[in-house]
Amino acid sequence: MKATVRKIGTVSVVDLSGKITIGEGDVVLREKVSELLERGDRQILLNLQNVKYMDSAGIGELVACYKRAKEKAGTVKLLNPSGKVHDLLQLTKLEEVFDTFNDEKEALVSF
Amino acid sequence: MPARTRNADPDMAVGTTVQLVLPSEVRLIDLVHAASEKMAEFVGFGEDEALNVGLAIREAVINAMVHGNRNDPRRAVRVTLACTDGALTATVLDQGAGFDRRQAPDPRTGDNRLRTSGRGLLLMEAFVDEVRFSHPPGGGTEVVMVKRLPSAGRQG
Repeated sequence: MKATVRKIGTVSVVDLSGKITIGEGDVVLREKVSELLERGDRQILLNLQNVKYMDSAGIGELVACYKRAKEKAGTVKLLNPSGKVHDLLQLTKLEEVFDTFNDEKEALVSF
Repeated sequence: MPARTRNADPDMAVGTTVQLVLPSEVRLIDLVHAASEKMAEFVGFGEDEALNVGLAIREAVINAMVHGNRNDPRRAVRVTLACTDGALTATVLDQGAGFDRRQAPDPRTGDNRLRTSGRGLLLMEAFVDEVRFSHPPGGGTEVVMVKRLPSAGRQG
């Protein structure tokens, strides 16, 4: 899985592509968000538009990132979960935990 | 006849069984997932449902390797994928100490949503029609998952 970062104002938008799965994607996500938090970023928007699917480990890592950011008084929000990713967030009731957006501009001003 | 996709192979659809025996190494899960999706296509599932089959079996294998076999590469997971007419049956067997489904908390409620683990069973049960656990005489936990083609249009 690939993770690239765009800084827009105070928000770090992490563009993810591929699948967030055990042993690979979950590790990439963990390392990228940890890197951002360590450098002082506190507003993180995970762009899931190009994420094909996640497994339970990937979903667990999303939650871990959310908690890690919160511990440092930061926020992780989600952008454009589509198809299977959207279904998984609904199934696991995580749509009730994460602020989720379908429009990047709207997401950016929400922080 | 249920609607079938392009890759559905009627000769393959009955009685073909594939078995994989894997050391408990998480890097092998993609391999099992890919095999599962391919077998689902042979049965006649469309792309989305084949992915669902792959996801359910992926979760069963994760559970077998991580929880059942405690990531011990010397312990094996046996995955059997069987095509029957209109259904795929997957069996996943580990060499662990056994497992009680009823003890697993619901990851969707309250504080459980903030747990970083515990969603594997939820995904398995959402993506296939049947999930059954048993403890064979030889030890370990065996999970059998069945997914059937939609029966719309099937005669009698």
